[in-house]
Amino acid sequence: MIYMFKIGVVGDKDSVLAFKALGVDVFPVYDGVEARRIVDTIAQQKYGIIFITEQIASLIPETIERYDRELIPAIILIPSNQGTLNIGMRRINENVENAIGSNIL
Amino acid sequence: MKVGRIVKVSGPLVVAEGMDEANVYDVVQVSDNKLIGEIIEMRGDRASIQVYEETTGIGPGEPVYTTGEPLSVELGPGLIESMFDGIQRPLESIRDLYGDFLSRGADVPALDRNKKWKFEPTVKVGDQVVPGDIIGTVQETSIVLHKIMVPDGVSGIVKSIEAGEFTVVDTVCVVEGPDKTIHNLQMMQKWPVRKGRRYVKKIPPNELLYTGQRVIDTFFPVTKGGTAAVPGPFGSGKTVVQHQLAKWADAEIIVYVGCGERGNEMTDVLMEFPELIDPKTGESLMKRTVLIANTSNMPVAAREASIYTGITIAEYFRDMGYSVALMADSTSRWAEALREMSGRLEEMPGDEGYPAYLGSRIAEFYERAGRVQCLGSDNRLGALTVIGAVSPPGGDISEPVSQATLRIVKVFWGLDANLAYRRHFPAINWLNSYSLYQNEVDAWMDANVDPSFSANRARAMALLQEEAGLQEIVRLVGRDSLSEWDQLKLEVTKSIREDYLQQNAFHDQDAFASLKKQNLMLQLVLFFYDEARRALENGVYLNEIINLEVRDRIARAKYIPEDRLDEILEIKKEVSKAIDDLISKGGILDA
Repeated sequence: MIYMFKIGVVGDKDSVLAFKALGVDVFPVYDGVEARRIVDTIAQQKYGIIFITEQIASLIPETIERYDRELIPAIILIPSNQGTLNIGMRRINENVENAIGSNIL
Repeated sequence: MKVGRIVKVSGPLVVAEGMDEANVYDVVQVSDNKLIGEIIEMRGDRASIQVYEETTGIGPGEPVYTTGEPLSVELGPGLIESMFDGIQRPLESIRDLYGDFLSRGADVPALDRNKKWKFEPTVKVGDQVVPGDIIGTVQETSIVLHKIMVPDGVSGIVKSIEAGEFTVVDTVCVVEGPDKTIHNLQMMQKWPVRKGRRYVKKIPPNELLYTGQRVIDTFFPVTKGGTAAVPGPFGSGKTVVQHQLAKWADAEIIVYVGCGERGNEMTDVLMEFPELIDPKTGESLMKRTVLIANTSNMPVAAREASIYTGITIAEYFRDMGYSVALMADSTSRWAEALREMSGRLEEMPGDEGYPAYLGSRIAEFYERAGRVQCLGSDNRLGALTVIGAVSPPGGDISEPVSQATLRIVKVFWGLDANLAYRRHFPAINWLNSYSLYQNEVDAWMDANVDPSFSANRARAMALLQEEAGLQEIVRLVGRDSLSEWDQLKLEVTKSIREDYLQQNAFHDQDAFASLKKQNLMLQLVLFFYDEARRALENGVYLNEIINLEVRDRIARAKYIPEDRLDEILEIKKEVSKAIDDLISKGGILDA
């Protein structure tokens, strides 16, 4: 049987609403506590990828780090409608460096 | 008897001619100083003698007198609380007579001939007695009831027996044998040290000798009548382990043989033991202890004898029906003494210069341990547990003494220099130590302590073994790459190591842990593991679990006094509560 994973987007309402048009589940949150609860909950519900806005992610670094060690879900940081904080890009750079030993991006 | 003449002196080895009347293992007196020696080899009328004292100033031509008797020890009231040298000379009386250091030719009887003991008969005139039967008792110290037994080879009908105050050489009982021979029995008997004392039969040792040391009792137990070895490099705590066992082991009599080790270690025993109180009897620990000391500056040949002297005394108390524990620290020095004598005898050396018979000598020694049915008609049981320290040079146990010892003994407590360096004491390595009594003791523990004890023990051991594997991954790729479950495992095993296995020998509450306390503590640590897993399942973050304050209380559980063990159960409740709080705060199931 092939597993079908879902995609979720977590962030402030204005940023994530547009994703609904793509047929992705969206979870609007307002603060860190709520975000943490949402991420932990949907992580256990066959969500393969969770997009999360950088603004919200910066409130819950522990939670983000926790899923770094897990295969599923992959947590991907995206900019919000207020622009980017660059932490998403920095994480990608770090991962590349860890994987191949030097930054080629 | 014929007098021999010395022809050669080589350190403690003396060769004498004209000894054709003597037999091997006879005791002789060398020169007019009357140095005590023992014949260890005969060729024609030439005898090789190992002399138990300094041979400085002895030369060829001097006389050698044979006694015609094998090297024997005196067994009777007065042994307990005494300190003897390797050939059972009482060191305290010698000091009173000759001063602080052993002088040559000191001739003092092992048991005080003047002291009177109160003898109470337990048989009546007309009773039939056989060897090993108890004819009377002497209250030797406030906790040791010395039982006077019929010596081997004597049986018949009691003709007379008296109560009263006697010295050890007074006749207390007259027995008429079946062939009308009259035996005058004294309280003291003699026994040759190289011959094991007789018993009716050996019985499987299946009762735990509990020592109050958590790592030993829980993971590597020794039984009453068992044998154990403690090999370890210098400074890893062999002597402290031996002292701990001598202090707290659940034996009625302790014989401590200090064989070739530092003199201050025996001083420690002499200073500490009288002050320590036995938790079972409430009396000073010295009141059940016999000390044999052949420290490193004492004659090397007597070192060879000290082990036999010790075990013969231990066997004598075993024959009374007591549980006896003999600590030998260290058998390596004894083996080195064998090697020195063997070299001087010009025997063909085996591995590392040790004599070829090293293995059989070590086996002979450890085989004298055991749980036995003693001689005598009352079928009493006695046990002799032997615990020997081994000091392998450089800590490498692939050397002959350690290997020969490990072939014989059933419990191996491997001390680890790394653990000692990390201040993990007792530094018994839980990965390479073993106890072959585990099955018997598991059954005993489940019946006597807690039905879940052996299951908990197995679980804790499995965790510790998994830890070793996880640690390797951590060393390669770092701790962060482990899943939360594995990180929790590491935290819990750290708790097993630090809160359970480590035990401070010098802390009032921690030096000794009863089996009940051990059981509760082990349950507590594992209970925390189960609760933490429950929290993880409910989505609580690992960091929050390991930062719980209640973990400090788990760590301090070892300092809870024996009479307030209920506190451990309270900690358990607190753990549950703390975990419940975490789940309701950060968990997701009830969100």
